Amino acid sequence: MSARTVALSDLLGRTVRDADGRKIGRIEELNAEISLEHRRSDYVVTHFSVGRFKPLDMIATGNFVQQLVRRVTRATGYRRYEIPWDWMDLGDPAHPRVRRREDELPRAG
Amino acid sequence: MGTVHLSRNVIDTQLVDRHQQKIGRIDELLLELEEGKPPRVATIVISGAARARRVGGWMVACHRAVHALLGQRAEHESRVPFDAVRCIADTIELDVEGNTLESLRLERWLSEHVIGRIPGASGERK
Amino acid sequence: MKKWGEVALGVVTCIGGFLEVGSIATSAQGGAEFGYQLAWVLLLGTLSLAILMEMTGRLAAVSRRSYGDLLRERFGYRFFLLPFLAVFIVSLLVLASEIGGVAIALQLATGVAFRWWAIPTALIGWLLLWRGNFSIVEQGTALLGLVALSFGVAALVLHPAWPTLGRALLPSLPSHDHARYWYLAVSMLGASISPYLYLFYSAGAIEDEWTIEHLGVNRITASVGNVFGGGLAIASLVTAALVLAPREIRVDAYEQIALLLATPLGRPGFVFFVMTLFITCFGATIEIVLAMAYILAQGFGWRWSENLKPAQDARFSTSYTVLILLAAVPIALGMDPLSLTNISMVATAASLPVTVIPLFVLMNDGDLLNTNVNGWASNLALVVIALLSVVLLVAALPLQLLGGG
Repeated sequence: MSARTVALSDLLGRTVRDADGRKIGRIEELNAEISLEHRRSDYVVTHFSVGRFKPLDMIATGNFVQQLVRRVTRATGYRRYEIPWDWMDLGDPAHPRVRRREDELPRAG
Repeated sequence: MGTVHLSRNVIDTQLVDRHQQKIGRIDELLLELEEGKPPRVATIVISGAARARRVGGWMVACHRAVHALLGQRAEHESRVPFDAVRCIADTIELDVEGNTLESLRLERWLSEHVIGRIPGASGERK
Repeated sequence: MKKWGEVALGVVTCIGGFLEVGSIATSAQGGAEFGYQLAWVLLLGTLSLAILMEMTGRLAAVSRRSYGDLLRERFGYRFFLLPFLAVFIVSLLVLASEIGGVAIALQLATGVAFRWWAIPTALIGWLLLWRGNFSIVEQGTALLGLVALSFGVAALVLHPAWPTLGRALLPSLPSHDHARYWYLAVSMLGASISPYLYLFYSAGAIEDEWTIEHLGVNRITASVGNVFGGGLAIASLVTAALVLAPREIRVDAYEQIALLLATPLGRPGFVFFVMTLFITCFGATIEIVLAMAYILAQGFGWRWSENLKPAQDARFSTSYTVLILLAAVPIALGMDPLSLTNISMVATAASLPVTVIPLFVLMNDGDLLNTNVNGWASNLALVVIALLSVVLLVAALPLQLLGGG
């Protein structure tokens, strides 16, 4: 039961491969929530947002720009996945792997 | 509901202490990985070395060189457990005493030995 | 009622704030060599600056964080370093040239060579920052900056040909010396659209504790203020066109720029010129060094405010102290102030993309601005300015080499 420590910056931007070894994108975001276990309230990562075009993620919340982004990204094949934490294998944090195949992964909106 | 985006809303965000004083920005977050458990957001790091590391190896080398030049061996960095976080908003409030933070050593030193020596540096509000 | 006081203050700050050594020198050169023809460049620069200031002001008022803060927060440390270093280096050059402007004014007033005035200027500036708070800095430079209106007076006294000036507000191609024309255009744009201006404005909104209630004040200040300020720059161009161009005087030194006011207004004109140069350059010195200290402190998360005693924000106060003294060195060593000004203006123009393009991202961020995000018109304007900034980046070096007399 050894705990390892990894820096957030070392995970962001890492290329993620699926169970078949295919590249499915890069880690763009880690989404955390409070988990009330063992009397303490800890923030734990619940989902990894993995996508192909990191810069587009930055401008994803304005309304007009969001629509523009959606239209552009659909045309260019941008895909974003929300991967639950237990599907992500971070045994080697430099080379994250998902324990499923790409077509089984939940897409983001 | 309560989902916090670590890259967008946590790292690089302004930190304030329990007195609402600015104490730096989150330069790095350390996550604890344990088999069978979700990664835990464990530690906030306030550190020039951590910043340099995010830029690249060459920056780390420059950083070390500058510190060697200034005669410092130890990096003034602070590691604060993430459970000191009281509030995540435009700023992130930590339940710590700013004056005790290692990362603010330069601020205290300058205040005492350089700025403080010049007349008019302290006292009543401007 | 208080809001209108703030508007008035903002407008007044822009009057003096817009006219400083860069605008005076580049407009004078433009007018001396091409008559009214380059007036459209000043119009373009003024409009662009007004738009950029309104946006960075809105950003600060709604998100309660300045543009400097958000450059790190929204883009990460690594990306932040790019605009930070660009602004820092360019601002240091402009700061040095503003100190040069003050030094020249003192040379004209006293006869003592400008290089001896560099360090004293820096020390007086430092003292003002040390002892004064943000209101004093803002109001002081604003009210004293009204002396810049003398450029407007001089232009009117010379009876400019209004129809010709009106036509010059539309872009035109030169009949001679193309490289020189476009070089001057680039340097005039660099003088008008300076990143320190909208970075300072954004930080100032935080110092003045602006909120959503201040969006109207912000709009008026940014627009009306720049109309006045741009108008004075155009007045400087017009005066140069009427005083220097007919005599075929090419501006090589600041003493010739003094003719702009001395010829139409006589001895009092000379005095007004010296006062305007001194006050507007001194005001710009304070603004620039503060803007640099702000982006440093904001980027690294230090405590900062002109309203705090220096001991309470030691890294911030150390920064402005070191920077203002450092910037005095080139002039103290005798570097030609006019050359320094010209170089810093072109460098400014070239540095614009790294502070204009990120603004486009931020102004469309609903998390930061809620319903106050850019509409399509604002976005269109910003895209045009962004394209302009890229053109300036590409053209700056070639034009400096080909046209930088």
